[in-house]
Amino acid sequence: MRNVIVFVEHKGGQTRKVTFELATEARALADALGGKAHAVVLGGGAGGLAERIKAYPLDLIHVSEDGDVDRFLIDPAIDYLERVAKSAGPSLILVPNTMYGRDVAGRIAARLNAGMAADVTQFGVEGGRVACTAPKLGGVAITTCLFKNTDYGVATVRPNAFSAQADGSGAEIVAIEKPAGRSYAMTIEDDVEEASGELGLEEAPAIVSGGRGLGGPEPFETVLKPLADALGGAVGASRAAADAGWVPYSLQIGQTGKTVSPQLYIACGISGAIQHKVGMRTAGTIIAINKDGASPIAEFSDLVVVGDLFQIVPELTKLVKESKSS
Amino acid sequence: MRFSIPEVSGSVKIVVTVKLVPDTNAEKKIDPASKRLVRAGMETVLNPYDEYAIEGALKIKESLGGDTTVTIFSMAPAASKEVLRKALAMGADDAVFLTDAGLEGSDVWGTAFAMAQGLKKVGFDLVICGGLADDGSTGGVPGALAEYLGVPGFTNCRRVDVTGNTLKVQRETDSGYQVVTGAMPALVSVTMAIGEPRYASLKGIMGAKKKTIATLALADLGLDHAVGGDGAKTEVATIAAPPVREKARIVEAADGAAGAKVIFDLLKEKKLV
Ligand SMILES: Cc1cc2nc3c(=O)[nH]c(=O)nc-3n(C[C@H](O)[C@H](O)[C@H](O)COP(=O)(O)OP(=O)(O)OC[C@H]3O[C@@H](n4cnc5c(N)ncnc54)[C@H](O)[C@@H]3O)c2cc1C
Ligand SMILES: Nc1ncnc2c1ncn2[C@@H]1O[C@H](COP(=O)(O)O)[C@@H](O)[C@H]1O
Repeated sequence: MRNVIVFVEHKGGQTRKVTFELATEARALADALGGKAHAVVLGGGAGGLAERIKAYPLDLIHVSEDGDVDRFLIDPAIDYLERVAKSAGPSLILVPNTMYGRDVAGRIAARLNAGMAADVTQFGVEGGRVACTAPKLGGVAITTCLFKNTDYGVATVRPNAFSAQADGSGAEIVAIEKPAGRSYAMTIEDDVEEASGELGLEEAPAIVSGGRGLGGPEPFETVLKPLADALGGAVGASRAAADAGWVPYSLQIGQTGKTVSPQLYIACGISGAIQHKVGMRTAGTIIAINKDGASPIAEFSDLVVVGDLFQIVPELTKLVKESKSS
Repeated sequence: MRFSIPEVSGSVKIVVTVKLVPDTNAEKKIDPASKRLVRAGMETVLNPYDEYAIEGALKIKESLGGDTTVTIFSMAPAASKEVLRKALAMGADDAVFLTDAGLEGSDVWGTAFAMAQGLKKVGFDLVICGGLADDGSTGGVPGALAEYLGVPGFTNCRRVDVTGNTLKVQRETDSGYQVVTGAMPALVSVTMAIGEPRYASLKGIMGAKKKTIATLALADLGLDHAVGGDGAKTEVATIAAPPVREKARIVEAADGAAGAKVIFDLLKEKKLV
């Protein structure tokens, strides 16, 4: 494979930072492979978004604003992506490792009979082949895999694992022709947003996360949120907190929630179960505030402060705020 | 073949795909030589996420009544076959076990490709998958399966309503949920919100011993591509241990302010504030 294609995930033209991370990494990989860097932007708002993505070092941005992409679940998007992949020739397709991204990856991998690498945090090019590095088995192994027997590879890429660098180079924007003779079977009747449109968890530089130790919904707002705000970050949660209905599932971090790699992760009243750990263990600095110094989270934290989160967090918020204003 | 008949009449044939994985709570280790998981002494269990898929299937069966059936389908090494009894004990009617030495070393592509052919042989109106496998965690198989089966793939469903031939699902998204409609034959994958998996009753456990586990081998599938390690589209080049984090510093906080100070000092040292 020589080319690199970025699948852009967005909603009505609003995208996340990972798009720009992928665009930047696509350039580096395409250069190493001697091919071109492409992006595919589909559905309502695609045109406007393509203009923004243009600031990143891509060669071609393929756009379609076809309403079918928003009316029908996934199938039209896969048809368009397939079309671009076939016209670009052998390529590596990059999608964000999100719920939607994983769906796209599985579908396009089958459509193109391609190999698939999941949750990639690092790429390399060795002798013209792409190497994908990803943590596996809850982080006990870091594996590097290569594609074989195929012209195409698909990688789901962990948000926040790569840096984004605009260079204003101005890719060419081209329209994708509608694939002919398709009819779609899964109709989206309703699309409901439950999380507020704040900073996405995956791209937050700092996450203040709460678990069962919070004891109810209010402390997420009154105790954790002020600290997250002071740090310029976002609030996350364990599954126990989401299961209890204290926060929406969209804030859940872990194997069945979001995978995050912030620079700073502060776990408050979270014990550190394996399913939680796999979603956050690649964070830069991990700090736990827990009543119990022997809880499993101590095994993968940099610092554990043993004490009551309700006393510590507000004091910490004060210190962070003071440091900002001084 | 039932697969090619889109009309569903009264009885729905549900097939649940179940992966068999190493005990989810066991400490995992990689053998540096074979680059494989050390499975010695590790129990094989139903992928926990697939227990939710079974629960979803049994709920649909109960709501539809009639001749609706639930078949378990799994692709795994021969030695794991009996693990499927647990799924039968939960209430599934029968099972099909796809096993062959030639399938060893299959990647996402090979797994989905071979399973799709097996599912076509078995026949179905509705395939139900778990959301992800606890060991591999790629979550790529359900989408790839739908693609190879040529049926609609409703992923990440937390609610599935079947009326006649039509499906109405609520599926989780990164920021909320969607309501999506379509028709069978189809594939759905479920999330944990579908409902807690039921326990097998004593009667269920006894009954499971008499239920059929049919086996399929590679030769039964008539695949036109090599699968297993040879046909795989990915190969593992290296396996390394993760960078060691230094042991956590554990500090008892005398009070809130003291605890906060320790954290704040680390944030300053790391230039995080
Ligand atoms: C199939 C499956 C998938 C799962 N997926 C996920 C997932 O994606 N994400 C996830 O997070 N979990 C997941 N879980 C659940 C996981 O196993 C744990 O049950 C969960 O993470 C525990 O949440 P917790 O740490 O908030 O609660 P607990 O384990 O109950 O821990 C609470 C902690 O708070 C501390 N504490 C209590 N009060 C205070 C206080 N005042 N001050 C300081 N500390 C205090 C306690 O010492 C304790 O360590 C999954 C489980 C299963 C079976
Ligand atoms: N070998 C297998 N046999 C049966 N089902 C499988 C197998 N591998 C994956 N699946 C199904 O695909 C889902 C997602 O797995 P994965 O994509 O590997 O994370 C699982 O929950 C199963 O329903």
